[in-house]
Amino acid sequence: MKFENRKYVLISILILIGVIYILKLFYMQVIDERWKLRAQQIAEKKREIIPPRAVVYDRNGNKVISNKTYYNLMMVENNIKSLDTNAFAKLIGRSVQEVKERFISIVKGEGKYTNKHTGKTTSNYQKIRAYPFLKELTSEEISKIAPHLWKYPGFYEEVSSMRHYPYSNGANILGYLSEVNQKEIDADHFYKPGSRIGRSGIEKYYEKVFRGRKGIKYIVTSALNNTVGSFENGKYDTIAEQADPIYLGLDADLQAYGEMILKNKKGCIVAIEPSTGEILALVSSPSYDPNLLIGNRKIVENYPALIKNKDKPLFPRPLASEYMPGSILKLIQSLIGMQEGVISKNSSFKCTKIIGCHKHPTARNIAEAIQVSCNPYYIAAVKRIIQQGKERNHFKDSEIGLNIWAKYMNSFGLGVRLDTDLIGIRPGVIPNSKYYDKWYGHNRWKFSTIRSISIGQGETQLTPLQLANIAVIIANQGWYYTPHIVKSIGDEGPLKKFLKKKNTMVDEIHFEPVIEGMRRCVNEPGGTARLAKIDGITVCGKTGTIENYKGKIKQPNHSAFIAFAPQKEPKIAVSVFVENAGASGGVWAAPIASLVIERYLLKKIISLDKEEKILTAKFPTPKKQ
Amino acid sequence: MRKNQPLAANFDWILLFMYVAILFIGISTIYSVAYNPNHPNIFDFSQKYGKQILWIGISLFLGLCVFLIDSDIYRKFALPIYSFVIFLLIIVLLMPPINGARAWLSIGSMGIQPAEFAKIGTAIILAKYLSLVNLNQQNKKIILISNAIILFPMALIILQPDAGTFIVFTSFLFVLYREGVSYDPIILSILKILPFRSLHYKRTWLGTHFIPILFIVIFLSITTLLVSNENIVLNFNKKKEISGYWGMFFFLTVFCLIAYFFLRYLFPKRERKRALSISIIGFFLALSISSTVNYTFQKLPDHQKERIELVLGLREDPDGDDYNRNRAMAAVGSGGFFGRGYKNAIVSSVKTNHVPESETDFIFCPFAEEWGFIGSFFLVSLYILMILRIIFIAERQKAAFNRIYAYSVAMILFYHFTINIGMNIEFSPVIGIPLPFFSYGGSSIMSFSIMIFILLKLDSQRKDVLN
Repeated sequence: MKFENRKYVLISILILIGVIYILKLFYMQVIDERWKLRAQQIAEKKREIIPPRAVVYDRNGNKVISNKTYYNLMMVENNIKSLDTNAFAKLIGRSVQEVKERFISIVKGEGKYTNKHTGKTTSNYQKIRAYPFLKELTSEEISKIAPHLWKYPGFYEEVSSMRHYPYSNGANILGYLSEVNQKEIDADHFYKPGSRIGRSGIEKYYEKVFRGRKGIKYIVTSALNNTVGSFENGKYDTIAEQADPIYLGLDADLQAYGEMILKNKKGCIVAIEPSTGEILALVSSPSYDPNLLIGNRKIVENYPALIKNKDKPLFPRPLASEYMPGSILKLIQSLIGMQEGVISKNSSFKCTKIIGCHKHPTARNIAEAIQVSCNPYYIAAVKRIIQQGKERNHFKDSEIGLNIWAKYMNSFGLGVRLDTDLIGIRPGVIPNSKYYDKWYGHNRWKFSTIRSISIGQGETQLTPLQLANIAVIIANQGWYYTPHIVKSIGDEGPLKKFLKKKNTMVDEIHFEPVIEGMRRCVNEPGGTARLAKIDGITVCGKTGTIENYKGKIKQPNHSAFIAFAPQKEPKIAVSVFVENAGASGGVWAAPIASLVIERYLLKKIISLDKEEKILTAKFPTPKKQ
Repeated sequence: MRKNQPLAANFDWILLFMYVAILFIGISTIYSVAYNPNHPNIFDFSQKYGKQILWIGISLFLGLCVFLIDSDIYRKFALPIYSFVIFLLIIVLLMPPINGARAWLSIGSMGIQPAEFAKIGTAIILAKYLSLVNLNQQNKKIILISNAIILFPMALIILQPDAGTFIVFTSFLFVLYREGVSYDPIILSILKILPFRSLHYKRTWLGTHFIPILFIVIFLSITTLLVSNENIVLNFNKKKEISGYWGMFFFLTVFCLIAYFFLRYLFPKRERKRALSISIIGFFLALSISSTVNYTFQKLPDHQKERIELVLGLREDPDGDDYNRNRAMAAVGSGGFFGRGYKNAIVSSVKTNHVPESETDFIFCPFAEEWGFIGSFFLVSLYILMILRIIFIAERQKAAFNRIYAYSVAMILFYHFTINIGMNIEFSPVIGIPLPFFSYGGSSIMSFSIMIFILLKLDSQRKDVLN
């Protein structure tokens, strides 16, 4: 029997295996993409580097927000060897129980992810991965721990960067950061768990500018997750770029002074440079130290107290608090009246006392009316605006007149949301016909029904920012730039919308008598704001004294004042609002405004007695319901 | 007559060239994968590549010694050599275990694996025994003795335990097959017990071709288990997924078609019909085997399933304990068509250590990752051609001893190649055996070199011996 042919069986098997192997290799290496992805997953890691956020300077080049280095104490479970829990707990200043709890919370809580296919949430905790055991340690704290860490393999320190506020002022303008939530991570690839995002103020508004450009580094990692080297010599890497510094129109010194002067009072100061619309100061009192809300540790510690505080320190009053403007609105009423031609600058109305007024000689013209702030004068004047006699029916006539009036008001940025770079801004209330139709019904109201709007009471409501903007418009004689905080992003200047001049519906010529009235108000005997007078500087201002109720109980009056100075080429426009001061605008708000103007224009306080009086002021306590 | 022949007259330069080529590719791959920038010199003996160079040098020296020794001694001293390796296999069992196996015999600072050398001893005694008996008159005794020669060292090796070498020893069964050892006497005696007394076969198809059939059945079963559990993704123009089982069906069809044309070409004209029937029957047999295996596997209780999956490295946890295969496949697959380039292996580099043993058992990984499909194709072809060359050499021998020894070498290399490369590409379970002439390791490189040089020596003296 011949067995030689059996070699063909063996050769066949051999060639068959060879062909099968080559086909399979072709499939795996050339056709099937899965293994390339798997290889990437195994060895090529994408490490994202988030640059420090932009540094922020005030208008004088003082650093307002900087970054400070902090440390995280990292833990890799796989590297931990025979941990002496007692000694370790003592080293990091925690109890043994706390150390154990923290460990369990890391194992259970970190690296949670949801499988998109099954919808199951599983913990992706891995023993070989590093997790922060303690976050946000200061260099002082870490310097006590770090020298001893060699005794505890598996623990090491890692540098991280957090915000720091050299001035403890302007919290409501600057805002704060906190960790992103899942929704934000899903919406924007920039963020990953643990990233920080702006939560209020300019940190929120300019988030995309402040965060800079993140860098991506492709690295090759070992099975133990150690970095072995860069992938293809960093061919695909991009460098993290910190955003250019941000320059604010804010004057940090003035802001600090404003917060100091309003201490223990509830209220606001807004100061704007009229020629540019840059906000010089935006004081909300009471406020808080922005350094209280840096990092999770401090947020957890301090946020609950701030949010529970009855005086609402987190609430940005100058933007979001809508107050009745009181007599300050008379300035606009005068301008509208003249523009509409229903009154002239020499119009005179008798102080008929049809509405409460104080004792003063009859105003012979608009300037005098402003100087003494005559209430009946404006009831009469505004009646002419609202009921111009275009219709015989008073109701219909009032409807047309009120809508014209409201349009004028809107052109002053009143009753509309100013498109500024501040978060949480409110529009105020300027009622139009629809507004009253809702209250009283169509054709059921006329001027006499709504006359209190003439003197800025009733339904009208404005924010302190809008009040300051009124001063800006009058200082500029008819136009304004939208008030804004950021003067320049790098060298690029402010956002384009802040370079667009906004004109009101009132012509320039009508402003002269109003300005004269404001000058008299401060500088002439009989003016309501004599306490705002500064030697050597012509301050133009207007007081407002606001009656207010809580429920039906009358509360102490709010004291308000707006001003600009100097009269020629104004450098600063201010509004001051003091809640429940219990006296007229001329008593509290006016001197505060003058101090702010002094501080800004003279860089020092010359009226020390005034300052003393303000600082020691005691206001009546608001009555409870 | 012998003395008049110059040493290299009938020397097979082609086989030597293939051997050196694989050695060269092997050492450069080890240099790439274990490259240490602090010791860039390839001859630095503190590094793995330096050590491997040393092993290669020793192997070549041993090869030269083998070449100078008269080839008659293997025939003459077959039994003492076999006894000596068996003795070593027993001694090694008394040694303290290293990494859980008593596989190493330490001589000074060096370690030697007797199992590697046992293959040579077994090949020699098998050649001696089978060349003496008359295989045209087969009986149970011949079958039992020839199988016992193989099974005795196997039993000692599984005690170490070393499953890889244990399996490699079954390659000798192919040698028995080639030499005509038939399992008919055993199968017929079983058939006699069964109630088919009226059947009086002298030969059965199963008994005659028992070994290749067994091999194909096992190979098919393992492949079915490995492949049918997952989907095959085709990425031509659109992404298309077919189930692994249909993939298996497709491959079987293609192979049977290839086999048909292959057989048609080989068979004499009047037997063309047989080629067709063999292909068709083979196809349906293969299909039924793989379906049966698949079906049986699906019906198994979960814990048994899990056990089989564990053995095959099939567990679904890509980062769990059984990640070796998954990572090896990622390394191979990520090579693409042209590879990442020399020294650019990422997944299978020793530094990253994602694929453990990437310089020994998984050495194919870094090679395939660096050289891509081009390199893989070249290397697989080189091995296949080398084994074919050895078969060619075997067939030209006049002496049965030489032929049987050559077949033993061919089949051992075939097994090592099939299992070692197979475990990188999902065709074989993860079994730790080296890739011949390629993997890092002294014992394997020395034993394979000695094996090849004995073959070259026998071949160069083939004309001296009378049949």
